[in-house]
Amino acid sequence: MWKTIIRRVLVMIPQLFVLSLLIFIMAKFMPGDPFTGLITPETDPARIEELRIKAGFYDPWYVQYVNWIGNAFQGDFGRSYTFNVPVSNLIGDRALNTLWLALLSTFLLYLIAIPLGVLAGRFQDSFLDKSIVFYSFIVYAIPTFVLGLINLFFFGYELGWFPTSGTVDIKYDSGTAGYLWSKFYHILLPAITYALLATTGVIQYLRTEVIDSKSMDYVRTAKSKGIPINKVYSRHIFRNSLLPIAAFLGFTITGLLGGSIFIETIFGYPGMGQLFIQSVNGRDYSVITALVMLFGFLTLLGSLLSDIIMSIVDPRIRID
Amino acid sequence: MNKKLLALLALLLTLMLVLAACNSDDDSAKPADEPDKTEEGTEEDAEEGAEEEAEQPASDDLFSVVLENEGEAIKGGTLQVALVNDSPFQGIFSYVLYEDAYDDEIMQFASNSLFTTDGDFLLNDKGIASLTVDGDNNKATIKIKEGVKWSDGEPLKIEDLIQPYLIIGHPDYAGVRYDSDFQNIIGAVEYHDGKADTISGLKKVDETTLEISFNKVSPAIYSGGDGLWGYAEPSHIVKDIPVAELLENDAVRVNPVTLGAFKFEKIVPGESVQFARNENYWKGQSKLDGVIIKTVPSASAAKALETGEYDMALSFPTSAYENVKDLENITLLGRQELYYSYVGFKLGKYDTEAGLSTTNEADAKMGNKTLRQAMGYALDIEQVNEVFYFDLRERANSLIPPVFKSFHDASIEGYNYDPEKAISLLDEAGYKDTDGDGLREDPNGEKLTIKLAAMSADETQEQVISYYLQNWGEVGLDVQLATGRLIEFNTFYDKVQADDPEIDIFMGAWGTGTNPSPAGLYSKTAAYNFSRYTSEKLEGLLTDIDSPKALDSKFRSDKFREWQEYMQEVSAVIPMQFRYELRPINDRVKNFDFNYETDFDLIDVELVADTPVK
Repeated sequence: MWKTIIRRVLVMIPQLFVLSLLIFIMAKFMPGDPFTGLITPETDPARIEELRIKAGFYDPWYVQYVNWIGNAFQGDFGRSYTFNVPVSNLIGDRALNTLWLALLSTFLLYLIAIPLGVLAGRFQDSFLDKSIVFYSFIVYAIPTFVLGLINLFFFGYELGWFPTSGTVDIKYDSGTAGYLWSKFYHILLPAITYALLATTGVIQYLRTEVIDSKSMDYVRTAKSKGIPINKVYSRHIFRNSLLPIAAFLGFTITGLLGGSIFIETIFGYPGMGQLFIQSVNGRDYSVITALVMLFGFLTLLGSLLSDIIMSIVDPRIRID
Repeated sequence: MNKKLLALLALLLTLMLVLAACNSDDDSAKPADEPDKTEEGTEEDAEEGAEEEAEQPASDDLFSVVLENEGEAIKGGTLQVALVNDSPFQGIFSYVLYEDAYDDEIMQFASNSLFTTDGDFLLNDKGIASLTVDGDNNKATIKIKEGVKWSDGEPLKIEDLIQPYLIIGHPDYAGVRYDSDFQNIIGAVEYHDGKADTISGLKKVDETTLEISFNKVSPAIYSGGDGLWGYAEPSHIVKDIPVAELLENDAVRVNPVTLGAFKFEKIVPGESVQFARNENYWKGQSKLDGVIIKTVPSASAAKALETGEYDMALSFPTSAYENVKDLENITLLGRQELYYSYVGFKLGKYDTEAGLSTTNEADAKMGNKTLRQAMGYALDIEQVNEVFYFDLRERANSLIPPVFKSFHDASIEGYNYDPEKAISLLDEAGYKDTDGDGLREDPNGEKLTIKLAAMSADETQEQVISYYLQNWGEVGLDVQLATGRLIEFNTFYDKVQADDPEIDIFMGAWGTGTNPSPAGLYSKTAAYNFSRYTSEKLEGLLTDIDSPKALDSKFRSDKFREWQEYMQEVSAVIPMQFRYELRPINDRVKNFDFNYETDFDLIDVELVADTPVK
């Protein structure tokens, strides 16, 4: 298996290289540049020209590309034109925020969805099943920003149960227990919102799988051997029904790492989604290219992760 | 469908209604998809539900600018401030380096400003420093008060006044502020090119006096122009930090020192800033213990004020006006912005090599002055302001915002909505409908289609622009969108600046800054003179406005008036709107003044309760 993993990682290199070439050229095709938005009546056009030349915007694109890729290989993705900090620092800060949010969201997602999916499948056509199916269609139909705003206004502002913006309360010093708690507290409401919205897929898959499994031979065998029905569900059916969910786990995690522009904007939570939109609008080339590269890498990694997870949970599958 | 399911359905629907009701006054809130451009965007961000009548007409007394609260103040307290912004602030707390307007908003509480300004944004003597200009010798003398200290207790020195010049002029400096104005300081270019270790035009006369020599001195110096820099940098901290590294240094990002009423206590990057009272503030001790500023997304800004989460909101979106105007715990202060929007007509070309505009009125499609004026009269901007902007915008009569009291000419009539007049002007100029399709042909009988470039913003913008197109249609003019749709911000300015032949007219906007001199936007050498209109008379007026003779303020304001009248007459650019900005304040706050010109200081702010009023 290790051999396969290494091979897959090596294949990523040419894939990412092609991606970098495409994104670099396309970013340069966009009209305007990072300095367009800085212009005021008092801005000197000559100074803007000077800055453009300094930034190398007048070099042919392949020269710019070679410079960029050369630095990128040494871990230097350039500086953000908008934020004036090295891109790696900028993405690093945001990625950490997004990572915590993604992990908690994924955890809550499965915490909510798995029991619901199993219950719905086990008690098929009961009132409980119908309620769960109805719930899953409702959250599927609600747009992200609507549920986000409802949660924020109701639980954040009206009831005051949750903080309403940011990632941490300024009164705590970093490193203290209060600081960590405050961070967690700030992530909670966006993560719940995130998780609620994503439950539909998991519930539906799991429900169908459980229903299908019920009529499988191995279930009948288990039942006829006299195994208690609860154990049949928890040991036999549950494990097998989880396969399709596990197949998506890798994608789910890496997908969440891309951030969500809606959740981040509504909850004032600085993450990757916002950073990406902002960099595109501000023509912050260095950030755009670095982010797309990262997203590309995450997608490839997600598919690899999913394959690995599959091979762990399903002994029939071997990757080599 | 069985009965149980129906019951469930009913239950869920009820629940949804309850949730919706909790939320009824904010249902128009939406995530903004357009980031705030520092200066140039139109930020057309009104919302859709605007059919209701706005109650008051826009006028100077639309809002109060001074807060009145007679309550008894508590001792100390912390002011909770919301910074309404959909993305994290950049957190560059240095006047020479920052580029984001939100950083500037934050720095108001811990300002390093040396000067204060009067109603026309001209420097006066009430601040830390006073300015004397010697027009004959092209010199300016800055004298600072004695005993002024930085927030870390270090005394303010002349070196602190020189430091910002050494940063801006440095070869490694990457900001926009090293410009032609800055090069007006003698020795600045040599320093920038690395030929000198310091700027020769800056001379420390004694411990409280700095003398600056310029190549030329104009009246703009009183607006902080000509290269004069109005802020101090703490040389005892930053002089040993290489300029290239300054941006990421803790002295800028983590613990900047300040001359202002408050000092930075703690910063959570992009999210919040905590200020404490500056014990060393030269004007005295703040009555508040401190201030906390937090970023709040625009979608929930009104809700946050309503629930008493904050005492005050900075950069509050006017599109949320409807949601706060009737709140009982909030007083709305308002003032006019340094802003105007306009329609520009392409009348020539800009030669980038030579840096010169040439006007060719005779050949330009929009070359007929009467046609341009008719287009101005045909626009029902009044209606748009009322319906879409709750009258938080008003019809602009000239190209100088009224905030500049002595320079703005209120007597200019501008172009008020008058379709009859537009029709008669067009008839008179020979634009007649000769082929009976309801649209006018040009005087030669050729079909006339005018291409308008307009910036995209939110969905309101789409409606506003199509209403304008309809207005022009009603007087018989065929105006179409260039490229067929609204144009994204960057693309818009790319095309307009490059004199794209597809554009005949365009709708833009300027945040003017505090220097009212129009030369940067309308002179023949100005790249931002997008209409490319120039004339000898115009050049003469612009030169007069910034000439040494105009150091006499009467002469200068007369020339400003003459210029505005001339611009009205030639109508190469037609002003559209001025706009207001709002400052919602919770009833817990006592003493606040939103005037541009004021003796009020942040140290006077007090609170009358322990928590904001709900």
